[in-house]
Amino acid sequence: MARISSLLWGALTSLKLTIVCLAALMVLVIACTLAQVKLGTFAAVDVYIRSWVVWWDVPGTVYSVPIFPGGALAGLVLGLNLVAAQLSRLELSWGKAGLWVVHAGLILLVAGEFVTGAFQVDTQLAVEEGQTVNFVESPRLLELAVVDVTDPQHDDVYGVPAAMLASRDAIQLPGTPVTLKVRYFMENSELTRRTEADPPPMANQGVGTGITARELPRESRDDVPNLTTVFVEPVAGGKSYGTWMASNALAATQTFTHDGRTYELSLRHQRHYLPYSVTLKDFKHDVYPGTQIPKNFSSLVHISNPGRGEERDVLIYMNQPLRYDGKAFYQASFGKDDRLSILQVVENPGWLLPYISCALVAIGLIVHFGISLRRGMRRRTSPETTTAASGSTAAVEA
Amino acid sequence: MKITRHVSLAAGVLALVGAAVAAMPHGAVRGFDVNGFARVPVLEGGRVKPIDSVARNSLLMIRSQQSFRHDGRTIGPDEWLLDVMFRPAVADTQPAFVINDPEVLSLIGQQQTSNRYFSFADLAPGIAEIQRQALAAQRIDAKQRTRFQSAVVNLFERVYLYYRLKNTMQLEGTPGLGAEVATRTAPGAAQRHVALAELAHFRALPPPPGASPDAWRNAGEALLAPNATEDPTLVGWARLGAAWAAQDAASFNRSVDDLAALSVAAHPEAQKQADHEITFNRAQPFYVGMVIYVLALLALFGSWAWKPHLLQPAAFGLLCAGAVVHTVGLASRVILQGRPPVTNLYSSAVFVGWGIVLLGVILERMYRRGFATAVAAASGFASLLVAHHLSGDGDTMEMMRAVLDSNFWLATHVITITIGYSGTFLAGALAIGYTLRRHLARRIDPATTKALGATTYGIICFALFFSFIGTVLGGIWADQSWGRFWGWDPKENGALLIVLWNAIILHARWAGYVREKGVMAMAIFGNVITSLSWFGVNMLGVGLHSYGFMDSAFWALTAFIGSQLAFMALCLAPPKFWRVRSAAAEKGPEQEQPALKT
Repeated sequence: MARISSLLWGALTSLKLTIVCLAALMVLVIACTLAQVKLGTFAAVDVYIRSWVVWWDVPGTVYSVPIFPGGALAGLVLGLNLVAAQLSRLELSWGKAGLWVVHAGLILLVAGEFVTGAFQVDTQLAVEEGQTVNFVESPRLLELAVVDVTDPQHDDVYGVPAAMLASRDAIQLPGTPVTLKVRYFMENSELTRRTEADPPPMANQGVGTGITARELPRESRDDVPNLTTVFVEPVAGGKSYGTWMASNALAATQTFTHDGRTYELSLRHQRHYLPYSVTLKDFKHDVYPGTQIPKNFSSLVHISNPGRGEERDVLIYMNQPLRYDGKAFYQASFGKDDRLSILQVVENPGWLLPYISCALVAIGLIVHFGISLRRGMRRRTSPETTTAASGSTAAVEA
Repeated sequence: MKITRHVSLAAGVLALVGAAVAAMPHGAVRGFDVNGFARVPVLEGGRVKPIDSVARNSLLMIRSQQSFRHDGRTIGPDEWLLDVMFRPAVADTQPAFVINDPEVLSLIGQQQTSNRYFSFADLAPGIAEIQRQALAAQRIDAKQRTRFQSAVVNLFERVYLYYRLKNTMQLEGTPGLGAEVATRTAPGAAQRHVALAELAHFRALPPPPGASPDAWRNAGEALLAPNATEDPTLVGWARLGAAWAAQDAASFNRSVDDLAALSVAAHPEAQKQADHEITFNRAQPFYVGMVIYVLALLALFGSWAWKPHLLQPAAFGLLCAGAVVHTVGLASRVILQGRPPVTNLYSSAVFVGWGIVLLGVILERMYRRGFATAVAAASGFASLLVAHHLSGDGDTMEMMRAVLDSNFWLATHVITITIGYSGTFLAGALAIGYTLRRHLARRIDPATTKALGATTYGIICFALFFSFIGTVLGGIWADQSWGRFWGWDPKENGALLIVLWNAIILHARWAGYVREKGVMAMAIFGNVITSLSWFGVNMLGVGLHSYGFMDSAFWALTAFIGSQLAFMALCLAPPKFWRVRSAAAEKGPEQEQPALKT
């Protein structure tokens, strides 16, 4: 038993494992980069980097076989290896202080990527000049929003994530008598005006009766959104309200009324409501004279937070985000003849980790090279070691 | 020792004198003060520059060269531009267009021969067809275009640039700018001025007194202004154009002097900037640097055969001179642009070479064995050659897009990561030097071998440090501007690969899995990784897309990688293939006695 554990410990602390992990990461990074051409960045990262194992779908079958450790696994093993090696091999001495700090920084860097993978939420805030917005939207995730608009003062919003529409047959909206039966879900589709030659429509209510939806494979380009379409049948109190088409390609408002309450149905970007609101006062898009090359984008926004009694203006521009309430707002895009500003909103509790890690590694390397340099200087007097010592000198000097 | 110094110094100074002579202005062309004309400041591409820069960059885009031979004379960029603007009929017969694609050539009824250069007159019969094909191809996403489609779009863009240049100061086929000024209220004049305002490629008229310094105007806009007849610059340009059209040297030179006096009086800063840039244009420091590096390399090769005690220091002197010219060029760009040295792919190539040469100079000072000179000169030359091929897109000092407009990050992240490239390439180059020495050198010199090994190791440490810090700084910049530290995009991944590879080399060495030869082979592979992350990721998803450089760059990159793999094989070849077998004997007792000198 003791032998096995010492063997395991030996393997865990070995430099061989470090090299194997680094090499595995290289392979994964190359594979991920190449796969981006076909899958797009997000999907490629999910397959190769944010996964424990890389799966290969055996062609012609439904089976998938694991063929390579995923980025998460390689990263975790590398992290453990770093910690273990640190504990067992590197003696605790001033001479090794630099390496200690470097490796601590690296562990923090790997940990930071895990935190980001697990907790980072990317959303967008699109706001037109003069408009006030109190929610952010997910740029890639969609939801089927059922909004109870009966009360003109107040809306009740029920959001069903698109992933749930894809996987379930029926969804009961909590707190309402309404159950949504999912008739058909298309992750990506093409909508065209219905012609005589088309098959009968799947929808028998709303605008969907005049539109033909054709299913398409998932979009791989990062900058082109999927046009998702879903056919749902709201059922309430044992009564069906017909089958409706909802799509993020449709702008029309569709409503049905049950028991005196009116519900709006739409497929839209997933929204998260904020405890404060953002008003765009002015958006600027400057170009260099005589060219179309953008020189500057900036959004002057007003933040109104009644909870904190805060009312103030902030200018958000390139490389100058606003960090507020755990979120960071970045100038990301624009539209509608420079009247619409799109802010990228990022929430990542671990955003500071890379900064700390970078500082640690830089300090560590400087300390380490400084120590080697001093040692090298001392050794330089003895002829056999001159070359080796000056090798590391060069590294620091130059 | 003393003579070594003197030889070094003499060789270096001689090379610098040569470089200075190259920077001197040329004499007048057929009595015309073309040099004076070249200095005139204009606004193009978002910044003020001498008209010489516009001329050079335009000719570079259209013909891929900055001058050409025609009718037994060398025609420089400024003279060419004058002809294009004021004697279009003459310019149309000059072979200004380079066309390589055989299918595009067939559009203008030509076959591929050794002559790749064509005049606008040659193109004229096919121009409608070129336009039709190009407009059809432009609708297709640039990445999806076939070779022919990319080529025809590219040719059309160049023809359009030529067309705009012709119609910048006066509309082609009209009596000229002077006539426009004189008859500016005549019927139909306003339409011509509007057309001129839309077509102009650059803005030649400085802002009127009191206006914003960005408010440069083109000829059409100036003609539309209410007091056009009193605009001295507009009148000056009109005279200049008329004098060139009439080939009246005296009048041309007078109007050049007038324009210069106006510019100095009203906008001394713009004129100073333009003068500095023109010196830079004329000196072509990166071209001159390339020549000096070749001389250094030749001197060093010579030193292996003849009088090493003279030629080796001479080579070092030349390398230092090359480094000085390179540095001056880099510093001039920094001053002209008001930006840190690396702002685009072109300047990254210049900077990578500069970093390698500087490291090489330091290493040579430390070891004085010649190998650092050889490696640095060869790398400096190679990187400047790459930069030269990257400059075909026009102005290499273009304005920075908003997201990149941050001198702080350009100065930290971009510089550190580029130094990381330099280090990785230098380690690879040293390893190639090591390999070649093993196979070619006749003398046994264990000390040099050892020095090479130690140096390569040190440089890999150096490269790891800078590429790691650079990569992380890049992440921090991304976090600052887009809200994500790491997005796994191809460029970021490329940088990460360099870091990982250097870390693997060092850990494998520390663990004793590889020795001298293994480290060297791995260092050569570092060249492959770095070239892929530097250029390869830009070509991702290309199939056979993009015309011109990037298309040939794909093959150049493939060839480079192939050559590096060949070097690795040579490096790893067992000792029996080596010229100097005894060199292997230094390593272990299992080798028998050293082989004899051959």
